Amino acid sequence: MFIHIKSYVASIFMALVFLSVAPNNAYAHGEKALEPFIRMRTIQWYDVQWSQESLKVNDEVVVTGKFHVAEDWPRSVPKPDAAYLNVAIPGPVLIRTERYLNGQPWVSSAALKLGGDYDFKIVLKARLPGRYHIHPFFNLQDAGAVMGPGHWVEVTGDAATFTNSVKTISGETVDMETYGLVNGVSWHVLWIVLGTAWLLWWVRRPLFIPRFKMLKSGNEDALITPLDKTIAKGILVVVPLFVFGAYAMTDSQHPNAIPLQAALDQIEPLPPTVNNGAVNVKMIRTEYRVPVRTMNMVAQIHNYSDQPIRIGEFASANLRFINPSLDQPGKNEEDTLVAAKGLVIDDDKLIQPGETKTVSMAAADALWETEKLDGLFRDADSRMGGLLFLYDPSGKRYIASISTSVIPKFD
Amino acid sequence: MAVTTSGHLPAQAEHEQSKLPWYIRDLHKYLLTFAGLTVMYVGLRLYQGAFGVLAGLDSTEPAFQTHWMRLFHIELGILALVFPALWGYLWLTRDQNLEAIAPKEEIRRYFTLTMWISIYTFAVYWAGSYFAEQDNSWHQVSIRDTPFTANHIIEFYFNFPLYVLLGGSAWLYARTRLPLYAKEISLPLTLAVIGPFMILVSVGFNEWGHTFWFREEFFAAPIHWGFVVGVWFALGVGGILLQQVNRMIELLDKIEDLP
Amino acid sequence: MATTKLLDIPPQPYTGEKARLTRAYDYLILVLALFLFIGAFHLHVALTVGDWDFWLDWKDRQWWPLVTPLMMITFPAAVQAVLWTNFRLPLGATLCVSCLLIGTWITRIFAYHYWNYFPINMVLPATMMPSALVLDVILMLSNSLTVTSIFGGMSFALLFYPSNWPIFGLFHMPVEYGNAQLTLADVFGFQYIRAGMPEYLRIIERGTLRTYGQYATPLSAFCSALLCTLMYPLWWYLGTWFATIRYVKTI
Repeated sequence: MFIHIKSYVASIFMALVFLSVAPNNAYAHGEKALEPFIRMRTIQWYDVQWSQESLKVNDEVVVTGKFHVAEDWPRSVPKPDAAYLNVAIPGPVLIRTERYLNGQPWVSSAALKLGGDYDFKIVLKARLPGRYHIHPFFNLQDAGAVMGPGHWVEVTGDAATFTNSVKTISGETVDMETYGLVNGVSWHVLWIVLGTAWLLWWVRRPLFIPRFKMLKSGNEDALITPLDKTIAKGILVVVPLFVFGAYAMTDSQHPNAIPLQAALDQIEPLPPTVNNGAVNVKMIRTEYRVPVRTMNMVAQIHNYSDQPIRIGEFASANLRFINPSLDQPGKNEEDTLVAAKGLVIDDDKLIQPGETKTVSMAAADALWETEKLDGLFRDADSRMGGLLFLYDPSGKRYIASISTSVIPKFD
Repeated sequence: MAVTTSGHLPAQAEHEQSKLPWYIRDLHKYLLTFAGLTVMYVGLRLYQGAFGVLAGLDSTEPAFQTHWMRLFHIELGILALVFPALWGYLWLTRDQNLEAIAPKEEIRRYFTLTMWISIYTFAVYWAGSYFAEQDNSWHQVSIRDTPFTANHIIEFYFNFPLYVLLGGSAWLYARTRLPLYAKEISLPLTLAVIGPFMILVSVGFNEWGHTFWFREEFFAAPIHWGFVVGVWFALGVGGILLQQVNRMIELLDKIEDLP
Repeated sequence: MATTKLLDIPPQPYTGEKARLTRAYDYLILVLALFLFIGAFHLHVALTVGDWDFWLDWKDRQWWPLVTPLMMITFPAAVQAVLWTNFRLPLGATLCVSCLLIGTWITRIFAYHYWNYFPINMVLPATMMPSALVLDVILMLSNSLTVTSIFGGMSFALLFYPSNWPIFGLFHMPVEYGNAQLTLADVFGFQYIRAGMPEYLRIIERGTLRTYGQYATPLSAFCSALLCTLMYPLWWYLGTWFATIRYVKTI
């Protein structure tokens, strides 16, 4: 207990020290708490990139990437009729100035189509210095936050130099950081002063015990004086007049004011990229071997393309299991969520055009456990999903979205 | 310190040593408690400022265990010590001869009871106003991944039990030191303590809701209305005021006035 | 001299030490009430009106002017029921609303701005003060629950939107943004990133009853006015019920 108290005191001290230097060094964002079946079978992210890692206040970083909306959408999760592509950062330390889905500007929410392919682009402008781990993520209604991969970005410079101007349709340029603040505060101060004056008008006189006694003894007239009544009548007339006068004035100042905008954006999926017919993958059986943290998958692959293909990668919930024997672009081996030698194929040969082949794959790494995807077996929905990447000799990529139920093996 | 009424009048005896009027003899303790609580709550908020983003965004990180779950356990430890100590003290030092209480002493105790309730409402302020709405702010920064977020650890598991503790203390003070409250149970005082206590119970419902069917931070959502109904019971304070005013008028009629 | 006379207090039942004692009691109760109503009323409002009051991009024409007065007339009615009936103090509504604003402002500054970097103009609270003042004086002048329910309740709701339009109207200027028309308030919601408040969560401009075209605000305000005339007496009686002076044998 004493040690605890000492650490607590030390923590408070450290807190005060940290406050003066305002560090910002955020870690992960709670993505591991979401049920594995949701992470693996809703938004399937890939090719996510950040334009730069270090920037100054007012500089921009562009996050781009792609995702496939899984066909095998979990039954317990509402369909994505309204989804919102968001960014996990510790508050508005960067602001989102632009966002695109399939090349189309996107400011509201949108419906996603099951089996649809999308690419996105988010432009973020640095507002406050610090080191931040930035993830794109999807808010899915009633399902939670489905995270994309994250990346560290360092912002330097002076927060005071941050600017954020927006031009209205009528041509006025607005500083978003301060717009309407003085006006809003002034109105609040005015009303608070009037309210306080009314309270003080009453509070200045003896209150509870004397007034109660006077009221009960029939001396009520002394409690409300003629002057009180005159002031009250004044309030009754002046306050509404003033309110409606100010309202009319504001209305005339902003004749073009419009209501908040509530429409959903309409954005169609791209032509199919994943499951586009070139390769068909049918899952036969999948086992997860708990002690060795390995997902053993047996799949029947039919190559409908005109090129021979090989399996290069299996990705699920931002984990990437790479087949080391295949030279492929974008391995990004230093990434902590990449198992660079994590995918082993038992008969790793080219699958010829027109050939149907049954393949056994083993996706093995401690990441299954550290990223808490092995919790799948304790879920009510123990099906998993992911993307299988295959390549032809020219490096062309074919992607299949797979889903399968998983049998745990505890041996 | 026992407060059992005896031959002499404690109010008068203490009054001789204090510059404060006899009816607000406990003013210093009251103000000190206010100051102490303010330092504690502000300290907790500073701690959040320092370690919220740094170590409070992901409950699976070791830093979260170090900075937040440790704080959680310390809070539980403090509550486990303070609850029985304070309530035990109030019970053990109860007045066992309330029939003999003098009007002046009873008036003074009404003042002290009001101070107790005031301390209780101060804790209600931090729990119901500041840290409650701050929850909305924090959950715009962190993705909710545990019932023990950096704000919940302070709000749900410390602020809520603490005001229950203080409300219960006010109730016990009245029950053990004031004749009317000892003879029978004050309904409004009980309501004003029990209702907000039910807010603590509502935490379970809230977390169940967020776990199963509501992940976003929509504050006006029905899963939060359990808290709302609980806080309506704070209106019981109106009844306490009326009980006190009625009794104080009787007592004031029994004592002599001084210039 | 005239001022002195103006501020004179009618003869009081207590003088000397008893007057000082009852005054000390007043101060204690005022401090108690201040924190009680900041804590209790703010929690009630945050969890019923909450999001409409927190964010610029929730303050719509349809739900904001309906929900806010309806949920904010509650505590004022209950407190008036005690303070007016027993003490002839016509300040219940102003007291509650002042407490609410104190709590709200502290939180907006220290929880939203200093902790999590939201600009304060994005989280400006609405004010209910004009409505509260009018509610208090209607009760005082009429000394009638019926009159206050009808005219006070209606005024409380009808004054809300015009009181707040001078604060928030300018955030409804149209902006061309992302190939769409948005208000400045919508742009705040888009730019200043909130993890737990995706756009689709906003309950704004929902509903199909659009018979009267674009006149949503007055209709919402009158609907709120009607509901407030019912909510007021309901909460008056709730306040009276909670302010019981009963002692019971068992609980």
